[in-house]
Amino acid sequence: MQVLKGSLALFAAALMTTTALAATEIRITHATTGGAEKEVLDKIIADFEAANPDIKVVQIPFDDDVYSNTGLITQLQSNDVPDIYFQWAGFPVKRDAEAGYAMDLTEALASDGWQDTFVPSVWTEGAGTMVDGKPYLVPTSLDVTNTIWYNEAIFEENGISPPATWDEFVALTKTLTDAGEIAIIQGNNEFWPFGNWASHIAAKVVPPAEYTAAFERTGKFSTPGFLKAFEHIAELRAAGGFNRDLQGLGADPAMATFLEGSAAMHPIGSWLIGTAKELADADFRYASFDTPVIDPDHPLAHSVIGTATGFVVHARAKNPDAAIKFLKFYTLPANQVLRAEAGTLSPIKGVNETANLDAQTDQMARMLAEAPAMVPPPDTTYPVALAEAYYQAAAYVAAGEKSPGDALSWLDETVALIAE
Amino acid sequence: MADAGAGRPIEDRTAPVAKGAVNLLFIAPAMLLFGLFVLWPVGSAFYYAFTHWDGFTAPRWAGLDNFQRALADSVHLMSYVHVVLYILGTLIFEVSFGLLVAVLLNSDRRGFALMRGLFFSPVVLSMSAAGVLWAFVLDYRSGLLNSVLKALGAGELAQPWLSQPSTALIAIMIVSGWKYAGFYMAIFFAALRRIPRNIYEAATLDGAGPAVQFFQITLPLLRQNAMVAVLLAVTGGFAGFDLFFTMTNGNPFGATEVPATWIMKQAFDKNQMSYGISLTVVLAAVVMAISLVYLRVSERLSVHRY
Repeated sequence: MQVLKGSLALFAAALMTTTALAATEIRITHATTGGAEKEVLDKIIADFEAANPDIKVVQIPFDDDVYSNTGLITQLQSNDVPDIYFQWAGFPVKRDAEAGYAMDLTEALASDGWQDTFVPSVWTEGAGTMVDGKPYLVPTSLDVTNTIWYNEAIFEENGISPPATWDEFVALTKTLTDAGEIAIIQGNNEFWPFGNWASHIAAKVVPPAEYTAAFERTGKFSTPGFLKAFEHIAELRAAGGFNRDLQGLGADPAMATFLEGSAAMHPIGSWLIGTAKELADADFRYASFDTPVIDPDHPLAHSVIGTATGFVVHARAKNPDAAIKFLKFYTLPANQVLRAEAGTLSPIKGVNETANLDAQTDQMARMLAEAPAMVPPPDTTYPVALAEAYYQAAAYVAAGEKSPGDALSWLDETVALIAE
Repeated sequence: MADAGAGRPIEDRTAPVAKGAVNLLFIAPAMLLFGLFVLWPVGSAFYYAFTHWDGFTAPRWAGLDNFQRALADSVHLMSYVHVVLYILGTLIFEVSFGLLVAVLLNSDRRGFALMRGLFFSPVVLSMSAAGVLWAFVLDYRSGLLNSVLKALGAGELAQPWLSQPSTALIAIMIVSGWKYAGFYMAIFFAALRRIPRNIYEAATLDGAGPAVQFFQITLPLLRQNAMVAVLLAVTGGFAGFDLFFTMTNGNPFGATEVPATWIMKQAFDKNQMSYGISLTVVLAAVVMAISLVYLRVSERLSVHRY
C-alpha cells in the first residue's frame, strides 16, 4: 500500500511539473522549411526554450508559395490563430494592420530599448514596418530580392567578367549563349521570380513619377519609359537570355540547376545563399552583380531591389507577452549573428559588421550599404493582383509571346479590370 | 426472439409513428447537416460574389462588378475554351481509346486478362501523383521523353512540352487519356460481355464482317454505356483541376488555364477572394445548364417509340 501511495504521489508530482512546464505555448507560423536558415531557427528556438522552461514554441512551417497563397490567410482567420507569423514588409503589413490582424508593437518596442537595437532606417513608413506611425512588423532580415548570381568557373572559362553596363551585360549573355552555355536560368512559372527583376529593370529606366503613377493607377503603363524597359527585356531575349522552359520551370528547380553548375547566371534574391549551403558542392564558386546601370542619368541607376521581412504578433495572440519575449530573444545580437553567418542579413545594429560572413553574404551587405537607394518589389508594395499583372506582362516579352508594345497594352487592359 | 409487433393488429403495425409537424423532427438532423454544409456555404458564396473582398479585410458591396469583370476577363473566357478542348480530347483519348481497347481485349485467350489489368492500372493511381510523375517525364532538361529522343539521335525534337502554349494542353490530354482510358475500358468491357454471342454468330452467317458487326451490333448495343461515359467525361472535364494544377497550373500564359485553376489563382494567389467566388458561381451555373441539356437530350435518345 505504501508503495502504491508513493507511486501515486510521484505520478501526481510529475503531472504537476509537466503541466507547469507546458503552461505557456506560443505558436509561430513561417515559410522557412530548409537550408541553413532553418537550422539556425531551430537552434534559437531550442535555446529559448532552455532559457524559458515555462514556454514551449510550436512551429507551423509552410512552403513559401503555399504560405503566401493559402497557408497564412487560413490561419489568420481561424479561431486558433498563431501568436506570431512571418510577413513581408510593405503592403501586407499595412493590409494586416487595417484588417486588425497585426498587433501595435509601439509599447513593446519602447520597453528595454528594444527598438534602439535596430538600424534606424527600418523604422520608417517606406521600410514597410510601420503603418500610420505605429510599428507592426519586427524586422528580422534584410533581403535583396533580386541580384544576378553567376558561376565564376563558367565566366572564367569564357573569359568574361561581371558587366558594368546593360550593353556589356547583353553582350556577355550573347557570348555565353553562342558558346553553348545556358546563359541565364530562371524558373518563372509563378511569375514573381522574373517579375521582381523586371520591375527593377523598369525602376532603373522609367522616370520615378511615371513608374509610381502606373502602379498607383493614376497613370498608364503604356508610356515611353515602360516601353523602353520592355524593349531592354526583348533585347536580352534576342541575345539568348531566357531559357526555353522559362514559364514551365519552378523557382526552386531553376535555383538547383544553377547550384549544380549547369547555368552561367541566375537572377534571384539573397536567400540563394542559405540554399547554396545545403545544395551546392563545396567547390562550387559563385558571386553576384546587381542589374547593371542602364541609364546613367536615371536617379535610381545604382539602386538595389529589396525588402525587409520579419514577424508580426497577432492581435488576438493567446500569449502576446511570451510572443514578444521570444521575438526579443530572436533579435538579440548573438542570435542575429548566427542568422547572418547562415546567410541572412540582419537589421540589428552592428551584427553584419561583427559576424563572420561568408563571401556572398558579405557582398550582399556591401551592396545594401553602398546603394544610394533601395527599390521595393511591387508585390510587397501594391495589391498582389496589380503586381502580378505587371509580372505577367514582362514575362510575355521575355518568352517572346508578345511585343513590348502589345504586352503594355495587355497590361493596361488587365489592370483596368482589377477592382480598386 | 419474438417479433415486437406480433399480436398487434396489422393496421396498427402499418400506422405512421407520428403525424403532422412531428415528422419534421425526424428529418431535422439531416436538414441541419444539409443546411450547415450545403445551404449556408452556397448562400454565403452568393453573397460574397456580389462584394469586393480580398479575404483579409471586410467585404464591400460591389453589385454586379465581379460578373461584369468575368465577362470581360479574356483568360476566364478562354478557360472555358480550354476545358471544351480538353473534354473533346478526353472523348478521344479516354472514351474512344477505352472502347477500342475493350473491343480488342474482349477475349478469354491467355494473357488478355493480364493486359486488361495493365491498361486499368493507372486508374488506381491518384490524379495528383500521376500529374507529378508525368511532369517529370515531360521535363525539358531531364525528362524521360526528351532523354529518349536525344538518345535516339532526335534531339532536335526535344521540346519544353509543358512550357510552350502549342504543346502544353495536348500533353495534358494525353496524360489524362493514359490515366482514364482503362476506366472506360472496364465499363465497355463489362457491357460487351453482356451482348449475346448468338447475335454475332447470326451476323457472321449473314456474311457480316468484323467492321460491320462492330458498327451494326456492338456500337448500338453499347449506346447506353457510351452515354454514361460521355456524361462522365463532360462533367469530369469541367471539374478537372488536379492534373492541370500539378502539371502546369494554367501555364504557360494561361494556355492550360481551366475554370478551376483560374478560380484558385484569383481567390488565393491574387487575394481576390470575391472575384474567385463569383467565377465559382458562374462555373456552377454553366455545369448545371450543360448537365440539364445533356440529360434532356440523352433521355430523348434513350426512349424507344413504337
